[in-house]
Amino acid sequence: MYLFASSSDLQFKNCIKYPEIYIPENSFTFLTGKSGCGKSTYLKMLNRTVLPQNGSILYWGKDLKEYPILPYRREVLLVPQDVFLLDGTIRENFDLYYSSRGDSVLSNKEICHFLQICCSEFSPEDTCMKMSGGERQRVFQAIFLSLADKVLLLDEPTAALDEKTSDMFIQNIRQYCKQKKITVLCVSHSTKLAESYADTVIRLEEPNHE
Amino acid sequence: MNNMEISLTRFSLIYVLLLLVLFIMKKCRIDQTKLVFIASMKMTLQLVIAGFLIQYIFKVDNPLFTIIYLGAMITFTIHRILSKNKELNKKFKFMIAVSVSFSGFFVIGYFIGVVIGQNIFNPQFVIPIAGMLLGNTMTAVILGLKSFKESLIGQQNRINALLCAGVSAKNILLPFVKQALETATLPTLNSMLGMGIVFLPGMMTGQILSGTIPITAILYQVAIMIGICTAIFLSCFGALYFGYQTLFDKQLQIIELNQTKKE
Repeated sequence: MYLFASSSDLQFKNCIKYPEIYIPENSFTFLTGKSGCGKSTYLKMLNRTVLPQNGSILYWGKDLKEYPILPYRREVLLVPQDVFLLDGTIRENFDLYYSSRGDSVLSNKEICHFLQICCSEFSPEDTCMKMSGGERQRVFQAIFLSLADKVLLLDEPTAALDEKTSDMFIQNIRQYCKQKKITVLCVSHSTKLAESYADTVIRLEEPNHE
Repeated sequence: MNNMEISLTRFSLIYVLLLLVLFIMKKCRIDQTKLVFIASMKMTLQLVIAGFLIQYIFKVDNPLFTIIYLGAMITFTIHRILSKNKELNKKFKFMIAVSVSFSGFFVIGYFIGVVIGQNIFNPQFVIPIAGMLLGNTMTAVILGLKSFKESLIGQQNRINALLCAGVSAKNILLPFVKQALETATLPTLNSMLGMGIVFLPGMMTGQILSGTIPITAILYQVAIMIGICTAIFLSCFGALYFGYQTLFDKQLQIIELNQTKKE
């Protein structure tokens, strides 16, 4: 059985239509395609922060509608493309997510561990205000990586990173997720990254406008 | 009140001051001459009409008239708030209307019936006190909703990131509700802090001018300030606390300022 299976009539707001898509468990899958073809929207539908207009998505053979929403979103975690960080310290940012979810906060050691995986050489007490776009993106990804449970959906995780860092970053994420048996679906423009690290590549065609 | 009477000729002299303002504005090409003119004319006209109306209500002294006047005041307050918040969904608007009416009636009733110990249909008390309470309520609720909407629109990234991380809509929105409540109540609290040190508030000034002894005027002023504080807090709290819950659905946990039909 596939981890995710979406039907061929899957459609978003009358404008984006999707083919049948299957995603196996424990895979590291890349989702590529031109801008505007609905890659990000697909991730949002998987995480159920956006609802399809038509068609259905199955998770372990059961429609997403049937899962209680909040535990589901925590299990199938989406790292959004738009980075949000408070101006405070890295610790304050980690704590915002943990306390909003009602979880106990991470120790400094754990935070450092996740920052390292995301190629981010900061300490938890460093402030985020003066960071560059790429640094912010990595801190943001580190927070979400620490929250990851069974599935991690990454939306352009390397958009603000240079080639070398992107490479390292994806390699580390892949290694961590393989070890923790986390299935990863990554939206990316970079065919090079996809070729180097993907188990499977799904290419979305031009949107079928009606 | 005889010592307070003012002849119409003398009264019209106050407009001389306005001519001075208009003259300077014209000379220095400050673009507000039209507004100054319209605002002062409109104010005069509205107050004259209100004055005649209130005088008539005092004369007939019928509870029904007091109730109608009070109803009109509350309707106008709600209308003004809603006309500045057209984008909110129907349920949210309903919560605003209920909160403003409830807190308005409650504080007016308590103030007049319990604290002053007057007949709650006595227009001499109901009309001015309701006016002060509702006027402040209107400003505060508009301010609170403005702050709440600005958070919602300006903090899209925060809302989206937390939503993706499986945080409940309630936990995402409550900080915005709290912040909006603070913004809405702060001006009233600040004016309470400064009251009596530099300026004497309007109601107290009015009572002293009309011959009330200062101590009585002060008791009224303290009472009305606490009344205003309660009325604005209750109406803002009700509007925001019950209102924010209309922005999402428990099952779907997707936040929308203007909720439309889904699925």
